[in-house]
Amino acid sequence: MNSLIVILPVLLPIVAGAGLLISGCSDRRKRQIYVASVVAVNMLITLGVIFFGPKEELTLIRFSEGMSLAFRVDGLSSVFGTMVSVLWTVTTFYSFEYIKHEGKETKFFSFFTMSFGVVVGLSFAANMLTFYLFYELLTLATLPLVMHAMDDKARSAGKKYLIYSMSGAAFAFIAMIFISQFGSLDFVMGGTLAAEKISGYKDVLLTVYLLGFMGFGVKAAVFPLHGWLPSASVAPTPVSALLHAVAVVKAGVFAIIRLTYYCFGTEFLYGTWVQYVMMGVVIFTIVFGSTMALRTSHFKRRLAYSTVSNLSYILFGVVLMTPAGLVGGLIHMIFHAVIKITLFFCAGAVLYKTHHEYVYTLEGFGKAMPVTMLTFAISSLGLIGVPPFAGFTSKWQLATAAVETGNPLAYVGIAALIISALLTALYLLSVVITAYFPKKDFRLEQVKDVADPNRLMTVPLTLLTAASVVLAVFPAPLINIFQQIAAGLF
Amino acid sequence: MEFLMLLVVFAPMVCGIIAYYSGRKSYTMPQILSILVTAIGSAVSVILLAGKAEFRVDGFCGLGLHFTASGFNGALAVLASFIWLVTSITSVGYLKETSNQARYYMFALITYGATLGIFLSANLYTTFIFFEMMSFASYVLVMHNEDHAAYRAAQNYLAFAVVGGLVTLMGVFMLYSLTGTLEISELYVASSAVQNRGMLYAAGVLTLFGFGVKAGMFPLHTWLPTSYMYAPAPTTALLSAILSKAGIFGIFVLTGQVFLHDEKWGMLILVLGMLTMVVGGVFGVLTMNLKRTLAFSSMSQIGFILVAVGMQGLLGEENALAVDGSILHLFNHSMIKVLLFSCAEIIFFNTGTYDLNKIRGFGRNKPLLGFAFAMGALGIIGMPLWNGYISKTLIHESIVEYIAIAGEMSGLFRFVEWVFIISGGLTCAYMLKIFVAVFIEKPEKPLEKKQYVSPVVAAVVSVCAVILPLMGMLPYNIMNGIAGLCRGMVNGKAPEHIVNYFSFTNIKGAAYSLIIGVVIYFVVVRLIMTRKSKKGGKTYINLPSVFSIEKYVYRPLMLTVLPFVGAFFARVAGSLVDWIILFFRKTIFNDPYRPVLAPTDNYFGKYSRRSSQRKGFTMSLAYSLMLAGIGVMATLFYLLFA
Repeated sequence: MNSLIVILPVLLPIVAGAGLLISGCSDRRKRQIYVASVVAVNMLITLGVIFFGPKEELTLIRFSEGMSLAFRVDGLSSVFGTMVSVLWTVTTFYSFEYIKHEGKETKFFSFFTMSFGVVVGLSFAANMLTFYLFYELLTLATLPLVMHAMDDKARSAGKKYLIYSMSGAAFAFIAMIFISQFGSLDFVMGGTLAAEKISGYKDVLLTVYLLGFMGFGVKAAVFPLHGWLPSASVAPTPVSALLHAVAVVKAGVFAIIRLTYYCFGTEFLYGTWVQYVMMGVVIFTIVFGSTMALRTSHFKRRLAYSTVSNLSYILFGVVLMTPAGLVGGLIHMIFHAVIKITLFFCAGAVLYKTHHEYVYTLEGFGKAMPVTMLTFAISSLGLIGVPPFAGFTSKWQLATAAVETGNPLAYVGIAALIISALLTALYLLSVVITAYFPKKDFRLEQVKDVADPNRLMTVPLTLLTAASVVLAVFPAPLINIFQQIAAGLF
Repeated sequence: MEFLMLLVVFAPMVCGIIAYYSGRKSYTMPQILSILVTAIGSAVSVILLAGKAEFRVDGFCGLGLHFTASGFNGALAVLASFIWLVTSITSVGYLKETSNQARYYMFALITYGATLGIFLSANLYTTFIFFEMMSFASYVLVMHNEDHAAYRAAQNYLAFAVVGGLVTLMGVFMLYSLTGTLEISELYVASSAVQNRGMLYAAGVLTLFGFGVKAGMFPLHTWLPTSYMYAPAPTTALLSAILSKAGIFGIFVLTGQVFLHDEKWGMLILVLGMLTMVVGGVFGVLTMNLKRTLAFSSMSQIGFILVAVGMQGLLGEENALAVDGSILHLFNHSMIKVLLFSCAEIIFFNTGTYDLNKIRGFGRNKPLLGFAFAMGALGIIGMPLWNGYISKTLIHESIVEYIAIAGEMSGLFRFVEWVFIISGGLTCAYMLKIFVAVFIEKPEKPLEKKQYVSPVVAAVVSVCAVILPLMGMLPYNIMNGIAGLCRGMVNGKAPEHIVNYFSFTNIKGAAYSLIIGVVIYFVVVRLIMTRKSKKGGKTYINLPSVFSIEKYVYRPLMLTVLPFVGAFFARVAGSLVDWIILFFRKTIFNDPYRPVLAPTDNYFGKYSRRSSQRKGFTMSLAYSLMLAGIGVMATLFYLLFA
């Protein structure tokens, strides 16, 4: 009975969100209290389960031998679950303020809350079948959020998102079937492929891995399947911030980590052609995303392209297929989550206060929105990788891991990281400079109506920025945990 | 002691933020805070140097910080603190006129802390972390005036800082992967064990890039004239006296540890150093602007230091003279330049311009200013009995020493020697140009008498001025002491015999430079660069800006060519898959009636009233992907259940 608590944080938000949708609550204050308490309580339960909960597997339904709906909290689940639940809570408070100008608040918050449960389910899934179920559910639950505005742009973006994700999942489905035939669907560090079954099928399995990687890679915005992500930035900013910088895209990354390290196993994949192909794709995506970001002057879309690039930093660590690579990838996953959510929040704050969507319209905002732009500047420096801010630490880990492999492509990857850092500097610092050092003909009266948003927005911004700096300066505990995960100890 | 170490680096940064907030209410508070912090910093640096303190912060940003204050590190920290104190005091008068002074002090103090972090660093990881902090913080200082010129200059500064920082990061990283350590004291042993010398050189050159940028090394110097020119005067003094030395610090580490006694490396630095020295000197002579001349002078003097650093590598075990020369010229240049820029600051504060034609004669009947400027000028041109002479003599002697052992290369190094002497002459020529213009020639209209400098600033400037000849007259006590303290950094030894600084040959070398300088001055400045003005007086003509590498090479490259190429490839790649699908449609499916659609972000599924326009969707990647997904699923189910 005790072990049933694992599914509580999965079910609670789904039920609560559905309840909100059915009740159709129209009182803003009541709804805010309701949503805030559900999300906060659920965060506490999630963290409680992660840190104090049962470690053994909970099998809910057994369909057949080797196919079951089961949950288990392992190291990787803990990392993903902690990251998502903490950031979800922060975002909830931010959205209370933001969503006021978007309307349809009840619908928004009910799906927003339901998605939380789905993501927790995703992170707690103990086998590929369960994982796949929640992976698809995540697409469905977040679709109404992407299409929130329900105008032409939003609907086409939503459709694009749906089709990309579903089709990608179809490819991943093949990978799942093959894994169930050649090994087991359970997640075991090091892979589950049975040695006696795979002889003679090596190339087939590698091709299947390629399909699986690209399939899950849709959500991780791997080139050339990244197209949905910039389009989906028409969604309300909290959605862009949380889903398209953290939850959904990181679910793609999480899926690839599961597929690589827990299903196929790095021993099987290391040094094969498929690893080189994947490294090539990922390295290309790194530079591609940054270049596109530089050429995009729409604020949120620029950040979306930046996400494309940064997701591939993480995947670069993952496809190195060494423990150190996984550590580097996970660190960047955390840092990028915190930084990118801050950057999106800043973009959202600007959008909320002024309806300015393009970066060159931000002249003089440094004085007008001091908190917003300061957090933006610090997070920008973090993403570029200026020491001592966050990106530097994670990039150093990634590069160290890359060199250790001695793989020639790894050096190309490091060069790509450096080039991408330069591009990041160009596309983010230009925003910072425009905001702080306007051209000479600028008059302060132009921004006299612009001010920082209220506390519901600025407090999350400040907290997140502080968190990113502290985590970056003292990353030792994080690295320690990740090393245990990569070694399969935790 | 350890606690003091941490404090001296991070407390200024915290105080900077306090200064900013206090500056909102009080005008003087940031200034007082700045002077206080740098004064305490100077005292603490001395204590640390004396105590040879060492400190680690494990796990900071991953690899952890490691500081040491013994020898070169501590001495540089003392130098930096002292010069920061001087500029803090002189900037009190200067920044009166400008707005945003609280912001200036905040970033000045952050830069101060970061610079101390660089100088006190005992591993390259620490160096790099603080180097980047310093670059970004000082950007705001360069930007301070916020006019168009400053904007452009700061943009350059930042671009070079970012690119340089990243390239250096790559280099540091390669160094780490090759040697397995970044501890400066372990680098020599670790890097001599490296088998793959080619990679080590590559790592070295990449690391050199960022440090070279900050030092103003040719051909990475193009940010230097504009940044020095348009930054506020106290910032220029700092850029020249201290921040450039942060670059030199890195080059010292590379030469004295990673590539100790490596001839190829020495040759590289020597050639770059000579180019820096000559280019800086020539432009210094040809520029008719006080501050810009001093900026090129800084570049040229950095060239002198680099020549000495190069000689360290070439001379191998017997490099004692080159080691001492490079270290002493570093210290001399800092002390001289802070004085000269302070004088320039005083002149600008009174006249509002640096143009030699407009400030002509400003220094007449101002004995204090004249004395201070003369001390600095005599120091930098290498006049015997002033401090610059000592270091230049050492560098000169090291070149002469190499001629003796160079064998068939001796002809080449005779050329190097003459380039060195002529560069000394260029130094002499441009300092003479400024001195004559400002202190000897008559102004166009007589100046009114008024107090031109506050007593405090006057006192500080006088102290700085008196130190220079003092150092030059007591070389065996002061100069040898400094060199002895510092040479451990580059694994240098004391010279085998005591250098006779005032021997005939050495004075002869300096005399050649001075004579050449006077000749250059009369030929170039008085004859070629001077025209009669309409009113009968003289006018100096300025150099046209055709020689700007920055304007004609770097800027177009960075701003137009590279983004275009990058975006072109990214766009092509981005639409590649759409094109492939289109190609198959046109060929295999024989589909000639469909219109070719531009692959934009959001064309598919655009809802329009006319159904014909919805076809865009069926041509997109998403549609093909969906069909592929359905097909795959169908096949799979067939395989499973049939």
